[in-house]
Amino acid sequence: MNKLSKNNSKVNKSSPVKLSSHHLLAIEGMQKTEIQKLLDRADYFANLDKHADTKYLSGYVVLNVFFENSTRTRVSFELAARRLGAEVINISLINSSIKKGESLLDTASTLNAMKPDLLIVRHPHSGAPLLFAEYLSCSIINAGDGRHEHPTQALLDALTIKRRIGYLEGLKISICGDISNSRVARSNIHLLTTMGAEVRCVAPSTLMPSSLEKLGIKCFNDMKEGIKDADVVMLLRLQNERMSGTENPSEREYFKFFGLDETKLSMASPNAVIMHPGPMNRGVEIASALADDSNRSLIKTQVEMGVAVRMSIIEALNHSKNKT
Amino acid sequence: MTNTIFKSIKLINPATNFNQKVNVVIHNETIINISKDLNLEKFNKDNKTIIYDCEGLTMSPGIFDMRVNIGKTENLKFTQITAAESGITSMAILPNQTPKLNNPSIIDHIKRQSEDIYLPKVMVYGAATKDLNGLEMSEIGLMSEMGAIGFTNGNKSIKNSLVMRRLMSYATMINRPIIQHAEDEDLSGLNQASTTSIRGEMNEGEISTRLGLIGIPACAEVIMIERDIRLAKLTGAHYHIAHVSTRDAVNVIREAKKSGLNITCDTAPPYFLLNENKLLTYNTAFKLSPPLRSEDDRLAIVEGIQDGTIDAIASDHRARSKDTKAQPFSAASVGASGIETLFSLTLGLVHKKIIDINKAISFLTINPAKIHGIDNPSVEEEKVADFIVFDENEPHTIKQENLKTSPTPFDGEKIYGKILATYINGQVAFMNQVFKNKIIK
Repeated sequence: MNKLSKNNSKVNKSSPVKLSSHHLLAIEGMQKTEIQKLLDRADYFANLDKHADTKYLSGYVVLNVFFENSTRTRVSFELAARRLGAEVINISLINSSIKKGESLLDTASTLNAMKPDLLIVRHPHSGAPLLFAEYLSCSIINAGDGRHEHPTQALLDALTIKRRIGYLEGLKISICGDISNSRVARSNIHLLTTMGAEVRCVAPSTLMPSSLEKLGIKCFNDMKEGIKDADVVMLLRLQNERMSGTENPSEREYFKFFGLDETKLSMASPNAVIMHPGPMNRGVEIASALADDSNRSLIKTQVEMGVAVRMSIIEALNHSKNKT
Repeated sequence: MTNTIFKSIKLINPATNFNQKVNVVIHNETIINISKDLNLEKFNKDNKTIIYDCEGLTMSPGIFDMRVNIGKTENLKFTQITAAESGITSMAILPNQTPKLNNPSIIDHIKRQSEDIYLPKVMVYGAATKDLNGLEMSEIGLMSEMGAIGFTNGNKSIKNSLVMRRLMSYATMINRPIIQHAEDEDLSGLNQASTTSIRGEMNEGEISTRLGLIGIPACAEVIMIERDIRLAKLTGAHYHIAHVSTRDAVNVIREAKKSGLNITCDTAPPYFLLNENKLLTYNTAFKLSPPLRSEDDRLAIVEGIQDGTIDAIASDHRARSKDTKAQPFSAASVGASGIETLFSLTLGLVHKKIIDINKAISFLTINPAKIHGIDNPSVEEEKVADFIVFDENEPHTIKQENLKTSPTPFDGEKIYGKILATYINGQVAFMNQVFKNKIIK
């Protein structure tokens, strides 16, 4: 651990973060100081050369358990764990155990019997990682559960914004698109409001969840109004696989009213940046040219920050478990 | 020939509006004497006599639990025994069990199978539509002759308006109620064709938004009730709404009753005691149908109980295996156990000074009987001894590990009131040790 302090002069960035829990299940309920520390530590990792020696967790075993398709999140977690020197095993359970009729808890306890240190879980059902945390002894990271939360995505989004703009407090951030079906939106709402940003949500009324304003944000059905003077415009993927055909008439109609194009973007702050958690539907949520505009689009930076953020989290969970 | 004397017991008998401390004497299966002064010698003369000192205890008619699901985790006999231990002397079971209760022979079979003078009487609801498909009327006349006390699609709504109209109309000829689980299943995403992406999981509102669960709007209940009330008006049927859970529903039912329609309804303890905030930890014991609603809805159910808009309280018992509940919320089964806690939770309304004890007992006994046109359960001289003995005030805590059925949504709830003995047909169907020790030698 000594070599760390050589790399960075700021004390708070040079050591692992200690959290109040050895799981990361949701942003809701997390303290501002914890989020701040995780972001600082992730910032430190992001600044390191990718070949820097960060193998602090040799012998640490991580199971990447995905009950739902994922490429970027799974790879990002795997890279993060490997950079920390951990052993990573990827397990795709999209249909296998479920088809054989094994219950989720049986699957989980089977995996737990192999004594991993950390289970990274993505599951199509909201709350599934909480069930894991209740029954298993290892640490759990929620890598996205149903429509509930995707905490690491919100942390990497926050880091991306901080590194571009410098701060979160007081920023006007508009989250636009399929809020109803989005776990990314919920985690971002909790994180950004906790950090003091002014959050607005923009969606067609059919994709705006009930009583959303009670989460401390403003809701808009008119995109131009919703992104007026925004510093950050965050777009969400239209999750057609979670829809029934009654939410949205067509993709072209969606693009007309809720797709980000130059005209709508002109309502935002002149320096506004564009974000998207991916995978994006070009020409549906965002005009293709805007997605590729490297001055305004932070979409690639988001992916890059994913690894740094996940390193800081995995390290923090290990640290928090050892100390509790 | 044996006499049993319950000495100095407080008798609450809603059918005769009676609430006094008396001595009750039963001879074989019949109540032979209820009086303030006990002439022991008279009864001792030529019979063996057992005397229980019932100072501080209460007697009332046994409970008629009008909504019991017999699930896969139980068989009928087990449920009957558990019911007897819980103060229940009659219960009505729903047709949505395996096999479905949708023809006269199965109704007859269930009645014969469940007949046991030591166990609660089982009443049966017949399937309103063939195979519970919601499309064609089943043989409700023939089932009625076999003793079916009403008709319903169980935990599914009778959705088709024409089918409902015909059912109501036909039911007027046989003088039976149509019982509705009121929910617009398209709106709640719970019709058979609904994909998992819209399948309602809990009440819609701030909590469902926070949890990322699919919401069922409260109006899904009242939409169905409003339609049905119009059909009840058209047909003159007796329409009964099961497990009412929302403010709007209570308001609409209150108005419909004022207009003189033959409409009744019941609710269950979760709807007057719990609200949707309980779901914040994804605890699947709270996954119910209808879902737990908002605090405002809960208060409206309490008001409905107070002003009599709500006629009866049923357990809505739907026990589930641990395995089907130890699942992510979306995948977990729907329903919770209820028969074992029905009595104490209803008595809780008395301890919270919401209703008096006479009324609480009525909700569990004569009111459900009236709804079904069944003779009033009554503890009177010359009547068969069907009653319960309980301690109104004994405090205790509901604990899942002490219950025979699961899951209870009331684990850890502090309650008052305990059943000490249940008499059915003059026989002891249940008696706990505390009461056995009350015997005077």
